[in-house]
Amino acid sequence: MFDPNRTAHLAELSKLEFTDEELLKMTKDMTDIIALMDKVCDFNPEIKPYTLDSVDYDDLRGDTYKESYPNSEILKNAKNTKNDSFVVPKVV
Amino acid sequence: MTLRDLRYKLDKKEIGAVELTQEYLQKIKERDGVIKSYITVCQDGAIAQAKAAQTVIDAGNSKPLTGIPLSVKDNICTEGVRTTCASRMLEDFVPPYNATAIEKLNAENYVMLGKTNMDEFAMGGSSQTSYFGGPKNPYSIDRVTGGSSGGAAAAVAAGFCAAALGSDTGGSVRQPSAFCGVTGLKPTYGAVSRWGLIAFASSLDQIGVVANNAFDTGYILNTIHGYDENDATSSAAAKGGYTKLVGSDISKLRIGVPKEFLDGSSDEVKAAVLKAADFYKSLGCEIIECSLPSLEYAVSAYYLISSAEAASNLSRFDGIKYGSRSGLGEDFNELIKNSRREGFGDEVKRRIMLGNYALCSGYYDAYYNNARRIRTQIRKEYAAIFEKCDVILTPTAPTTAYKIGCQENDPVKMYLADICTVTVNIAGLPAISTTCGYDLDGMPIGMSLTGKAFDERTIIAVCDRFEKDFERKECMR
Repeated sequence: MFDPNRTAHLAELSKLEFTDEELLKMTKDMTDIIALMDKVCDFNPEIKPYTLDSVDYDDLRGDTYKESYPNSEILKNAKNTKNDSFVVPKVV
Repeated sequence: MTLRDLRYKLDKKEIGAVELTQEYLQKIKERDGVIKSYITVCQDGAIAQAKAAQTVIDAGNSKPLTGIPLSVKDNICTEGVRTTCASRMLEDFVPPYNATAIEKLNAENYVMLGKTNMDEFAMGGSSQTSYFGGPKNPYSIDRVTGGSSGGAAAAVAAGFCAAALGSDTGGSVRQPSAFCGVTGLKPTYGAVSRWGLIAFASSLDQIGVVANNAFDTGYILNTIHGYDENDATSSAAAKGGYTKLVGSDISKLRIGVPKEFLDGSSDEVKAAVLKAADFYKSLGCEIIECSLPSLEYAVSAYYLISSAEAASNLSRFDGIKYGSRSGLGEDFNELIKNSRREGFGDEVKRRIMLGNYALCSGYYDAYYNNARRIRTQIRKEYAAIFEKCDVILTPTAPTTAYKIGCQENDPVKMYLADICTVTVNIAGLPAISTTCGYDLDGMPIGMSLTGKAFDERTIIAVCDRFEKDFERKECMR
């Protein structure tokens, strides 16, 4: 059962933020959703969890240098840039 | 008309590439205001591509898709063309590169008419979570298109493109194709490179095709399949020749019908799928009742795995390196939180929350690991069925398209509606959906044919055989 405190903690971990009203709605949604997910909890523990097996680790591409996109191209989508870098709020 | 017929007309100069493109653009301009299947229409770009295609055709160098006007789902990166994922977070994102599938289409001088509407970040089964407003079903505009490739399916159904690229993580090509009365192919995991497909759930995502018929899905897959060094999960086992078996004798095939899929479907859907089974039986195919006992766990397992992967994939959207930046936020964390709060819609937030919950240390084994155990089991059950059958026949969705606004606000109801499609992604198999009937309101009913890994050619041939005898009803073209 979810309560607003648990939802708020999970939101913090998820880097999300909700208003009080949104938090109550999300708490209700998560309670309903987790009730559906509880279905998996009693599954046979003897079965090995699946791991993606389609990657051939013996045949990966070579670790060779390749020209990447120019900074100016990459930064075109950023809202705030300066001197070929992303601008962020002051951290220290 | 198939894409092969279009190819013939273009090569024989019965129609020009520019004229053909203009016809589609005109239809979009006149009627897509209601359907809203496109987020971005590439008016000038499409004409320029069509002119280039015509030059290639005139020089006698055309390839299968030269001059063919297609649409592309808005989560597939297209260089210089806005790619939004139907999210405010990527509202202004213009990719500096093309997805590999797009590069392959460009190598044949295809024409991109525009980018189609979808559920935000491909999370949903109605396309109503689109930040730009959801598309409407061309069979009845008060109904959903299905999702998440709802814009692609609606555009094909309404005649706004010759075919479309979509993506399928849990049914997102097949279910909207069923709801909109067209054909949708989800290839085997690894058959088409995911490079440039904006990631939702990387172990399940796959680029697929929506088209007017089964042949056309294979025709396009012939171009876009194959190993790509930029995607380590793509496979050299995808060999092409996907339309080769079309028209061949399918009478010796064994078609499995798992009872669990029918039990949860509406009476009309069940009757239409069983009628399709009878059709195949009348051709000489052996119909085998079979079982996928773990289906009851599939929706929960799918949502745990896909949400866990989504939570991880979407953590990159911080408003700094990726995604739209909030104007609010005094410090680093506040800026990220505000950007994500403003940029993501409710369903995306729910998936991120669920995914992070499933990955928390105290719950990881009970939820995420058990979901992975179920994945192992479902793959085993499919393998057991394929020892006795060549193809599996199921409904594509338990119901037909429902009315807009009727269940989008109930996430659990929405998730449960994916029951018929998610196991195919969990097992990494190919499947194709086509129309097999209509309900009392005239809405299309979809059936799915699932094949063995990398055996798309068989399901395309089996689907094509059904389509040859089935009369589709036109929607608002």
